[in-house]
Amino acid sequence: MNDSTMGSGSPQHRAVDLRGVEAFLVQEAELLDDRRFEEWEELFDEDGYYWVPARPDQENPYDELSIFFDDRQLMRTRIARLRHPRIHIEDPPTRAVRLVGSIRIEPEAPLGVDLLVASKLFMATYRLREQRFYAARCHHALRVRGAGFKIAWKKVTLVNCDDSFDALTVPF
Amino acid sequence: MATRDASWLRSLVGEDRVHRAVYRDPEIFDFEMERIFGRTWLYVGHESQVPNPGDFFATRLAGQPVLMVRHAGDGKVYVLFNRCGHRGSQVTTHARGNVKFFRCSYHGWTFKTDGTVHGIPLRHGYPECYDLKGGEFGMRPVPRVDFYRGFVFASLAPNGPDLLTHLGPMTGRIDDVVDRAPAGEVALGGGVHKYHFHGNWKLQLENLNDMYHPHASHESTVATSGRQFRRGDRDGGGAELSTDRSGNPLSSWDDAGVWACPNGHGWCGAMPGTSGDGSGPVFERYQALLRTAHGEARTDEVLNLKWHNSIFYPNLVLQAMAQHVRVIHPVAVDRTEIHIYPILLKGAPQEMNLEVIRYLNITHAPASLIQTDDLEAFRRVQIGVGTQGAEWVVFGRGYGADDGTNDETRRAFGTSELPIRNQYKAWLGLMSTQSA
Repeated sequence: MNDSTMGSGSPQHRAVDLRGVEAFLVQEAELLDDRRFEEWEELFDEDGYYWVPARPDQENPYDELSIFFDDRQLMRTRIARLRHPRIHIEDPPTRAVRLVGSIRIEPEAPLGVDLLVASKLFMATYRLREQRFYAARCHHALRVRGAGFKIAWKKVTLVNCDDSFDALTVPF
Repeated sequence: MATRDASWLRSLVGEDRVHRAVYRDPEIFDFEMERIFGRTWLYVGHESQVPNPGDFFATRLAGQPVLMVRHAGDGKVYVLFNRCGHRGSQVTTHARGNVKFFRCSYHGWTFKTDGTVHGIPLRHGYPECYDLKGGEFGMRPVPRVDFYRGFVFASLAPNGPDLLTHLGPMTGRIDDVVDRAPAGEVALGGGVHKYHFHGNWKLQLENLNDMYHPHASHESTVATSGRQFRRGDRDGGGAELSTDRSGNPLSSWDDAGVWACPNGHGWCGAMPGTSGDGSGPVFERYQALLRTAHGEARTDEVLNLKWHNSIFYPNLVLQAMAQHVRVIHPVAVDRTEIHIYPILLKGAPQEMNLEVIRYLNITHAPASLIQTDDLEAFRRVQIGVGTQGAEWVVFGRGYGADDGTNDETRRAFGTSELPIRNQYKAWLGLMSTQSA
């Protein structure tokens, strides 16, 4: 990360950075709400991954099961299935609205990324006369790319992550 | 509801069919909890989930909260009802943990890890006619508990066939799983997947040895090649869901076969195109460890198992190659919860156990790319059998064509509905027997 443009700059820079980050997260939620899954996947870096742990204090996605743990290849498989005309669990498709808030940039970024962003997500889904609600703390590890960002990893910790779930189909 | 007698039950189940009420009637569900889940052997957990004295693991049997606990006193595994012996309060709300004593939050009674009473505040308030140290006031043990190679089973009935009689040839399926560990022992570890669906518990059991459904239910997982996407390194090129290598639909699924055993148990053949464990340095190392531990013949057997899902009626399913335990928890007549636990092979290269965790995220997470198709099928059946007019669901595929070469185990072609007929035979037997 270039300190002269990001993160540790003046309060003015920080304000600009936060606005850019907020716009990025809102746009991400918008892409998912609009089921523009391919464009959402493109937000991730080549080595990027998407992780929804199955336990509040789960340390990693490798030695313990997760609700989602997708690298780019698995994301593409998942999206191909979401586009399949005979994905019965998505017939009719799930409608979803995501609300992203409490966005802040953490003071320290982990190794290999430029920014760690914390946010809160509230998502409502609807399919076949059933509305469901999900609440989560999210973390986006971002790398600065030109005027924008790439996601190194996104972690979604659902408030009830260690509970039993109805079938889940679309990412949070 | 009609009188709960044998003739009423027989009116609900034929050799090749069931009345739609078995999926929909809440009174039948309650009766199943009493006569099936309240009587036969149920899977509880695995000893490895409570390795140390005082460790406990909470689960449910017939919908009732129980604790599998390793007693600090004798180091043995007990299964106790999660209920205070004083006024009936649930004792612990934790899914697992370690305790010196269980302590009830209501009046502070404490219990040893075998369920016996440890301490009673203001004990002098009870007249002498009460045997406070007696079993009546403890956390009561489940009537019968037994073990097979670390797998813990329990029965809520004091009498009945013993575990080995109940399991019959299914012990061989547990042996298959355990013998794939070079150390000859497995452990459950690596977390749990938990999901539920809006459907009757029997729909899950009917599905697991149903090799007729994948080409349609799981069509969204199939590429234009007719093969499923790869689930991981160990499944070669992906299951041949729509066609075999000659482009012939389904015939390879018929060749895979299904097997039905007494008491509702059974297994289905390996998924076409997925046999073998793959290759590479990790697999080579694993294979060498197995050959040293178990010898050539047994190693060849367990590396080329010819089965996919083994059903231990009514609440346990094992997969050997995709190493996991599946537990079926009936919640209500139209609601069922499923728990999936990875099986870790002791003595195997760490990479193998890590890979199965990755694999199970794809196949059995609540957000699985495969399992969610089945949950939608169960939901739709639950709605469909609510319609009047067609009173029966018929399981006629292969009816009358079952191969009875073995006294205990019958085999049929893969897409036969023999496993379902076999499950309802056990269902009727248990439901219509008055006392164990």
